[in-house]
Amino acid sequence: MKVIKIGAIWCSACLVMKPRWQQIEKENTWLQAQYLDFDQDQDKIKKYNLTQDSLPVFVFLDKKGQEFLRLDGEIPIKELVKTINKHKDK
Amino acid sequence: MFSLKKFFLILIFFFTLTSSPVLAQDQDVDIHFFWGQGCPHCEKEKIFLQSLEQKYPDIKINSYEVHKKEGYQLLQEMGQKLNADTSGIPFTVIGDQYVAGFLSDETTGVQIEQALDSKQIEPPQTIKLPLLGTIEIKNFSLPLLTFMVALLDGFNPCAMWTLFFLINLLLGFKDRRRMWILGTTFIVTSAFVYFLFLSAWLNLFLFLGFLPWVKIIVGLVALVSGSYYLKEYVVNKNGACRVTGSEKRQKVFTRLKAITQKKQLALAIVGIILLAFVVNLVELVCSAGLPAVYTQILTLTHLPSWQYYLYLVFYILIFMLDDLFIFFVAMTTLKAVGLESKYARYSHLIGGILMITIGLLMLFKPELLMFG
Repeated sequence: MKVIKIGAIWCSACLVMKPRWQQIEKENTWLQAQYLDFDQDQDKIKKYNLTQDSLPVFVFLDKKGQEFLRLDGEIPIKELVKTINKHKDK
Repeated sequence: MFSLKKFFLILIFFFTLTSSPVLAQDQDVDIHFFWGQGCPHCEKEKIFLQSLEQKYPDIKINSYEVHKKEGYQLLQEMGQKLNADTSGIPFTVIGDQYVAGFLSDETTGVQIEQALDSKQIEPPQTIKLPLLGTIEIKNFSLPLLTFMVALLDGFNPCAMWTLFFLINLLLGFKDRRRMWILGTTFIVTSAFVYFLFLSAWLNLFLFLGFLPWVKIIVGLVALVSGSYYLKEYVVNKNGACRVTGSEKRQKVFTRLKAITQKKQLALAIVGIILLAFVVNLVELVCSAGLPAVYTQILTLTHLPSWQYYLYLVFYILIFMLDDLFIFFVAMTTLKAVGLESKYARYSHLIGGILMITIGLLMLFKPELLMFG
């Protein structure tokens, strides 16, 4: 499973989510994660077809690179851990 | 947590306000106001008396145009009775006291109010609400209102994104002194611009006075602002950041980068001041509602000028609290931090209820907004 984290340096919610993800990635070393900056990485972000006008966005991809879940905004760390554990084998 | 059900109940209470404020005296007190066409001081006093009428529901103002026979005769009679010189207008009679001329709310206006005080007329101090019982208005004082409105205004994310940009750039510097100086310059300039903005609103309302159409517009602005904040509370549950004005953001970021990297500190400071001025002026539009409503309430209190500005300084301090917190934490921990959205959400809920309450009072019971 891989998580694409899309955020921006001017977005307060993205800054709030940053340490939460750092903790999760530290505790789940198998998890692949990539951060994309909304202003700097527009080319890479385009393929995820962001329809909503809000940040941060978290795109969950399975082993084949297919998106199976998308979350946005501030998410409690417990909810993230639960989601990751649920889809661990994908 | 405050449920929406409770909120709507409170709204219904305000809509169905039936009981009158408790007054110190039940009898009406007559004010006889003698004025003349084309007299500018009379016009000034008229506006003052309108606000006085709102503040003291138990007074009755009788106006007489002295260029009309009836008004002129009555003025002469009053003059003889009170042994007063009635050659000039405006001329105001309250019981057995009189006030000749009208200079300003702070001078002659105070004299008129003092004459009312001697008649033991006081503004309403309590209000009875269904189920909630009697509420002391003084408990909902001006400092508390200032604190709440400023805090709500401060959570407005409009100008916050520039601060995040700046912090991000500053954290890349090795020179801590430069970081502190440039960041502080930006915050102080932003506060100053906002102070100018609030002062402009204040002076506009002081100039206009408490006119009925101003009251209606400000009341409606408060209702619209309150509805917007409640909508934000309901819709934006996960505190996501709105993506708007990408081009403008990029432009500011490029400028900010160029300014902060200037070798000469003095040049960088001047650049930051100019940029903070421009960004804050542009972003003022999105917070126009709250400062307008707040400064209108402030003018209803008839305070001395220096106290108005002291309240504005207090407002700015509270308004900047979240910016200061984010800046100081970033500068001391060398990490950019965001404020959890739950604080903004609660402020939207409380602020939304507050603004709707103010809007309804402004439209239907403005005398309750006259603090002090």
